[in-house]
Amino acid sequence: MKSKTALIFNALLVIVFVFAFTLPAFAGKTYKLGMSLAITGPTSDAGNPYAKGSEDWFKFVNETDYLGDGDKIDCPIRDDQYKNDITKRFFEEFLDDEILIFLSYATGGNLALKRDFEEVQIPVIPASYHEGLIVDANYTFMPVATYSENAVSLAEYVVDKHKGTDTPKVAFFIHPSAFGRGPLEDTQKAVSLGLGIDIVEVVEHGTDLDNTAMLQRLESKGVQYVICHTVQTPVATMLTDAQRLGVTATSFGEKGKLTFLGAHYTGGSDLIALAGTATEGFIWADSYNLTSENNEGAKKQLELAERYGRDDKAANSHNYGAGILAAQIATEAIKETKKAGLKMTRENIYKTMQTLNFESFAAAGPVTYSPTERIGVDVQNIYVAQDGVFKKIQSFESQYIQKVRASR
Amino acid sequence: MSQNRWLATGNFFTSYKQEQRTFFTHLDRTIFTCFLVLLFGWPLVFEISNKYMLVLDNILIAIVAVMGLNLLLGFAGLISIGHAAFVGIGAYTVASVCQVIGENHVIVTHFWPVLIVCAGIMGAIFGAFVGLPALRLKHLYLAIATLSFQMIFEWFIQFMSFFNQGQTIYVGRAHWFTGQVGRSEHYLFWYYIILIIVVVLGFGVRNLLKTKYGRCLVAVRDNDRAADAMGMNPGLTKVYAFALAGFFAGVAGALHAYLYRGVGFDSFTLHHSVAYLAMAIVGGLGTLNGIFWGPVAIKYLDLQVEQFSELAGHYLTYAPNVATALKPLSFGLVIVLFLMYEPRGIANWWRIVKSYTKLWPFRY
Repeated sequence: MKSKTALIFNALLVIVFVFAFTLPAFAGKTYKLGMSLAITGPTSDAGNPYAKGSEDWFKFVNETDYLGDGDKIDCPIRDDQYKNDITKRFFEEFLDDEILIFLSYATGGNLALKRDFEEVQIPVIPASYHEGLIVDANYTFMPVATYSENAVSLAEYVVDKHKGTDTPKVAFFIHPSAFGRGPLEDTQKAVSLGLGIDIVEVVEHGTDLDNTAMLQRLESKGVQYVICHTVQTPVATMLTDAQRLGVTATSFGEKGKLTFLGAHYTGGSDLIALAGTATEGFIWADSYNLTSENNEGAKKQLELAERYGRDDKAANSHNYGAGILAAQIATEAIKETKKAGLKMTRENIYKTMQTLNFESFAAAGPVTYSPTERIGVDVQNIYVAQDGVFKKIQSFESQYIQKVRASR
Repeated sequence: MSQNRWLATGNFFTSYKQEQRTFFTHLDRTIFTCFLVLLFGWPLVFEISNKYMLVLDNILIAIVAVMGLNLLLGFAGLISIGHAAFVGIGAYTVASVCQVIGENHVIVTHFWPVLIVCAGIMGAIFGAFVGLPALRLKHLYLAIATLSFQMIFEWFIQFMSFFNQGQTIYVGRAHWFTGQVGRSEHYLFWYYIILIIVVVLGFGVRNLLKTKYGRCLVAVRDNDRAADAMGMNPGLTKVYAFALAGFFAGVAGALHAYLYRGVGFDSFTLHHSVAYLAMAIVGGLGTLNGIFWGPVAIKYLDLQVEQFSELAGHYLTYAPNVATALKPLSFGLVIVLFLMYEPRGIANWWRIVKSYTKLWPFRY
């Protein structure tokens, strides 16, 4: 009797051990990705919600078995504090971990690592939409329209909506770096190719807390439109000063007043929080769907944020949506590679990404890549700040940016 | 000299030549040789990831840069808050060559030792030029002069299209006798190169301090009028101290350019100048071994604080600015604590340990 009990006990033990050791084999595969961005330090106001967006989407994918067969995505998110040297270190660490896709952040960091991306042939999804990242580069997949596309589109929009027969006089208010200057140069190229605006002045802002002299100078030069390509804080300072001086146009292109327009990182709910009512009438070009639109996509974004306990600030940030989109592109690439029955390697992911095509609730249009096209969402929405939120006016696709690219 | 050349006990010199020796005892020499063998040999035994090799290479580059700063600040007593700009001059010398003749030109890829020396010379020229105000200025005023050089450098790089407005200028892969240094061996290759440079320059500094030129630096630091009265040229000494510091920084910059295979403006900012200054202070100003301790300690601290700050960033999601502040706060705190409680730096701890072992086997 005693030996029978021992036999059963041993048999059970064997079953438990066999089960325990074979369980991981049935648990599904884990695909490794890596993300490096500024959670703290400069630009963390954008990087923080971006990180949350990506983190929440990957959590959602893993919890809902989005990839099927119990497969999961493991994407460690590292804080590079907006420093290229740290980004490089994280990138090397991720390569040691044999990641499939690298989700990167800043313009500087991406440019610094551009050669490495090509060398190790790793697909990259950046948070920077600097045009230079996709010039002479195969492995960088831009999620949405570039900053240059934003700036040129805004210039085209000015030409379209300008009242009067004169050439609209435009000033550029840009970040004092290549990040700010790149889109300006492309707009200048568009002008040389026939875009009908007159760029009267280019202002590279500093850390000034007062823009009175600059605004009055622009007025005296007959400037009607100010296109901004920088981050939100200097724009907020300028808008507040313009409101105080009473030079802000009450309607688009009002004579003798200034109409302010801006690219991706200038606008959003953060700008409204910083500048308050001075934001009213600000025109913003962006490829993301905003929660203020209250459409199906916006509801899904808010649901995701609520599911993971995010506050209103993060949930309504377009940077949160940007983080979701970047994670979605990576997820869809893995899903499609799996669906095609290909082995999960960087090479196969790269192949899949070249033909990736899907709809995202976070974006203004479908994500479409091709072997010759490295921009996911080409559509931009033109938003206007109205009653404390940004409201969509129309969708816009730049005509001149194609000519600019062809002229390079 | 003592009867037993292995012991430091009873060490005394009977000639100036004996006093000039690099190693006073056989034990010193043996320990140093073992340490060098260890530094050169461990990568052949242990495999380490690229991430950590990059960290080590960075520390070694910082050592080269701090050697120059320590000569200037520690030995010559001249303050510089623009040392990162001198490092930048070296890096941008390599970048300029790449801009003019192409990043994959044979001069860039094959003659990199020549380019590294050229970068050092360029750093020395700029150093000497920036050192000119040192003939008239001292202390805080000199600090402001060097700070202004840092500002001019940053402005210059950010606005000149030749320098890509501060964005990365690519540098080609170096070649060795076995061909192009590939990605897999890149960090290891530069580890050895930088280590050799550190050893050579380390001996250079050691020997310089035994010459009249080295003693001039110390004399001018202690009292430039007295030095003048004794026949030294304080003006020339100050300018060449700046030139020397510039040379070391220039070499460090060129190494940085090759290691990262690119030069971007944000590696040579005022923040980096302050970090070099911190390394020199924490290591121990006016000491040779402090040159090594400082960069190791600060880089290690940087890594730890970075991880802590990152962790805080993940948990303090409602207050990212608090997490952002943690790094500079803790960094600053360490500097203040060192200045308060150990102004002679880690080198002093090393001195205490050495003086204890020097008596061995006697108690006193």
